[in-house]
Amino acid sequence: MFGLNKIIPVEPNINFLGLRRNFLIFSILAIFISIGLLSIKGLNLGIDFKGGTLIEVSTKNTSIGELREILSSSYSDVSLQEFGNENIILIRLQNKSNQESIETVNSVKNLIQEKVVEFRRSEFVGPTISSELLFRGFQAVSFALIAILIYIWLRFEWQFGFGAVVALTHDVLFTLGLLSILNVEFSLATIAAILTIAGYSINDTVVIFDRVRENLRKYKKLELVDLFNLSVNNTLSRTIMTSLTTLLALVSLFIFGGEVIRPFALTMIIGVIIGTYSSVFIAVPTLLIFKFRPQDEDD
Amino acid sequence: MKNYPIWKSFTVLSLVLLGIIFAIPSIIYDENSENWFLKNKINLGLDLQGGSYLLLEVQLDVLYKEELDNFVDSVRLISRDQAVKIEKIDIQENEVLVFFANKDKIKDIRDSFFQMYRGVSLQISNNRLSIKLNDEYRKIIQDSAIKQSLEIVRKRIDESGTKEPLIQRSGKKRILLQLPGIKDPERIKDLLGKTAKLTFHIVDNENTSALQNNLAPFGKIIIPDIYDENTKYLLDKRAVVGGENLVDAKGSFDQTEGHAVSFRFDTEGAQKFGKVTTNNIGKNLAVVLDGVVITAPRISSAITGGSGIITGNFNAQEASDLAVLLRAGALPAPLEIVEERSVGAGLGADSIAAGQIAAIIGMVLVCIFMILIYGTFGALANVSLIVNLFIIISLLGAIGATLTLPGIAGIVLTIGMAVDANVLIFERIKEESLKQTKVFQIVKNGFDRAMSTILDANITTLIAAVLLFAFGSGPIRGFSITLSLGVIASMFTALMLTNFLVYMYLSYANKKELKL
Repeated sequence: MFGLNKIIPVEPNINFLGLRRNFLIFSILAIFISIGLLSIKGLNLGIDFKGGTLIEVSTKNTSIGELREILSSSYSDVSLQEFGNENIILIRLQNKSNQESIETVNSVKNLIQEKVVEFRRSEFVGPTISSELLFRGFQAVSFALIAILIYIWLRFEWQFGFGAVVALTHDVLFTLGLLSILNVEFSLATIAAILTIAGYSINDTVVIFDRVRENLRKYKKLELVDLFNLSVNNTLSRTIMTSLTTLLALVSLFIFGGEVIRPFALTMIIGVIIGTYSSVFIAVPTLLIFKFRPQDEDD
Repeated sequence: MKNYPIWKSFTVLSLVLLGIIFAIPSIIYDENSENWFLKNKINLGLDLQGGSYLLLEVQLDVLYKEELDNFVDSVRLISRDQAVKIEKIDIQENEVLVFFANKDKIKDIRDSFFQMYRGVSLQISNNRLSIKLNDEYRKIIQDSAIKQSLEIVRKRIDESGTKEPLIQRSGKKRILLQLPGIKDPERIKDLLGKTAKLTFHIVDNENTSALQNNLAPFGKIIIPDIYDENTKYLLDKRAVVGGENLVDAKGSFDQTEGHAVSFRFDTEGAQKFGKVTTNNIGKNLAVVLDGVVITAPRISSAITGGSGIITGNFNAQEASDLAVLLRAGALPAPLEIVEERSVGAGLGADSIAAGQIAAIIGMVLVCIFMILIYGTFGALANVSLIVNLFIIISLLGAIGATLTLPGIAGIVLTIGMAVDANVLIFERIKEESLKQTKVFQIVKNGFDRAMSTILDANITTLIAAVLLFAFGSGPIRGFSITLSLGVIASMFTALMLTNFLVYMYLSYANKKELKL
C-alpha cells in the first residue's frame, strides 16, 4: 500500500559474514568488560536480593531534605530519592547488620507520619529471604537455559545447539554488564526480564537456524559462508520487523508504564537489541567453526 | 483451495467470538458485580488493587528449647519419685544430659521418661542419661506447630475483619498471607506479632530472698511487670488455668479501671479457677501474657462464676485487640515476619492507569507500523493482534489468573512479539510471490513454510515462561502467565485467524496477483 517494505529489498545481499571478525572482536571485548564490571563494580542489587526496607511515600509541602533530616538522625544508612515526581519519595534502608526486622518499617512510618499524605508502598525483605530469592532466581535462569538448549538439541543438530549456547551466554553477560554500567536496579523483575531476553534471543536465533537448515538441504553445492549469508539475508526483514515491533511496545512501556516497571522495560530494551545483534553476528558465525555440512553425515 | 472449508471458518469465528465475549467482564470492570457472568473477571494482584503480602516464619527454635525445658522438669519429677539425686543437668543445643548421683535406678528413670515422651532418643552411659531431640521428634513438633499456627493466624485475621484473605503454608516452617485491600498493615502485623499466651499464676509473696537474688527455686518462676522491667514477681511455675480454657473475650469499659477485657471460662476452666480462688483468698493472682505480668490483683473473694475482667492501662483499641488475640487463642511459638510487601490503593490505581496507557500506545504504534510495512495485509494482522489481546484477557479471566504489574508488562511485551508470527508468514508469502503467480498457492505455501519456524520459535519462549512460573514468586508468576497465554494466543491468531482473513480478503477482492 505504502510500499515502505521496499526499504528492505526482497532479496537483500549483504555480506554479514564478511564482517564477522570485527563483530567477534567487539563482542569478546564487550564480554570481558562485562565480566570485569560484574566482578569489580557488581550489580546494583535491590532489596529483593540484598534484604532491607523500601518505603514509597507521597508528600505535600515537604522537601526531600526535610525527610532526610528526620530519618538520618535515627538511621545512618538511609537513602532517599524522588520517584517519578517531586512529591513521591522512595526511602531505602539497607540491611547492613543482618539484624534488620519488620520493626524498621513501623518505626520509619512513625517518624515521618506527619509529613506524609499516603504510604504508597512498603516492602521489607529479611536476610534469609533475600538469599533464598537470589538462589531461586539463579536456579530459574539456569534451568530455563538448560531446557531451551535441550529443546534446540532435539530439534536441530548439536552444532546449532552450540551456536545457540554461545549466543545466549553472550546476551546474558552483555546485558548484565550494561545493567552494571547503567546502575539499573537488579530485582526479581530483572530476572524475569533476563529470562524473557533468553527466550527472545533464542527465538530470533531459531528463525535464522531454521533457514540455515532449509538452505543446507536446498543448496548442496554452495560454500558454507555464502549459504549462511544467504540465510541471514533471507530472514533479515523478519528479524528487523520483529525487533522493531517489540521495541515499539517496550519503549511505550518504558515511557508510559510508570516508575516501578521502568527498570524492567529498560532491561528488556537492552536485551532485545543485544539478542537481535547476537543472532546475526554471533550465533551464525559460530556455526562456521564446524567445517562440515551437518547433512553430509546423513548422506 | 479457493473455497475455504466451512467448518474451519466456523471454528475460527466461534473461537474469536468466545474470546471477545469472555473478555467483557474484565473490560467493564465492576468490582461488586453479582451477575454470574460479569463475575468471571480477572483478579487483580495485590500490587494493583492494594493490599499486603506477608511471609511469616514460625520460630521453631523457641519450641525446641521449650521442649528441652520440659524434659528437665519431667526428669526432676521422676527422679524425685525414685529418690535419686541429680548431680548436674547440662542443657545443650539439641539434648539434655542428666548426671545422677548413682546409676542404680537409671534404667527405671529412663523407662518412666520414655512413657511420657515417646519418640525421643534416650541413651545411658554410666551415670549419665542423655535425652536427645532427634529429627523425627523435631518434625512432629514442627508439623503440629505449623498446623496450630495456621489455624490461629486464620482466626486472628478473620476476627480482624479482613475480607478474602489467603492464608497458606509455605515450605517447611512458613505461612504465607495475602490480604487484599487492607488499609492498615501495621495493625495486622501487631496482631500477628504476639504469641498471646495467657496464663494465671498464684503469686508467692513470702519468699522475698528468691526475688532479691533473682534465682527462682524449683517449681517457681520470676516474671517482670509489663510496664516496669525492674518490678518482678515470683510466681508458681504451674499455671492455675490458661487461655486455652477461655470461651469468650471482649473489650469492655469499667467505671473505675477504664478499658478492660472481659472474659469467660469454659466449665473446666471455671471449676479450676473457682477452686484456686477459694483456696487462696488473700493472695495475689498474676495474669501473665507472653512472658510479662499484665496485672496481679489480690484475690478478695472466691470467683466461681467463671468470668472476670483483665485490667491494665489499655486504650480502647488495645483492649479490643487483646480480646481478639484471646478469642483466637495462643500461637504455639512466636511468628517472625520475614517478608512484607504492602501496596496502597493509590499506587495500585496509578499502576493500572499507566499500564493501560502503555498498552494502548504500544498497540497503536505497532498497528501503524504494520500498515506502513505490509499495507492491507498489515491491517489484517492488526485485526488478529486486537483479537489476540481480547483472547489473553478472556483466558486470564476464565482460568481465574491474577493480573499483576509485571503481568501488564507481559501483555505489552506480547503485543510487540505477537506480530512476529504474522511477520514470518508475510515474509514467506513475499518470497513465494517471486517464485510463482497463483495467488492462493502463494498464500498456502507461505503459511505452510512458516509453520514450523513459528512453532520452534514460540516453544522456546514458552519454555522460558513455564520455568519462570515454576521458580518465580508472586508478581513474577503473573508475568509468566500473561507471557505464556500471549504466546499461545498469538500462535492461534496468526495461524488461524490471519489465515482466514487473508483468504477472505483475497476471495472477495478477487485478487489476481499478489504484491506485498
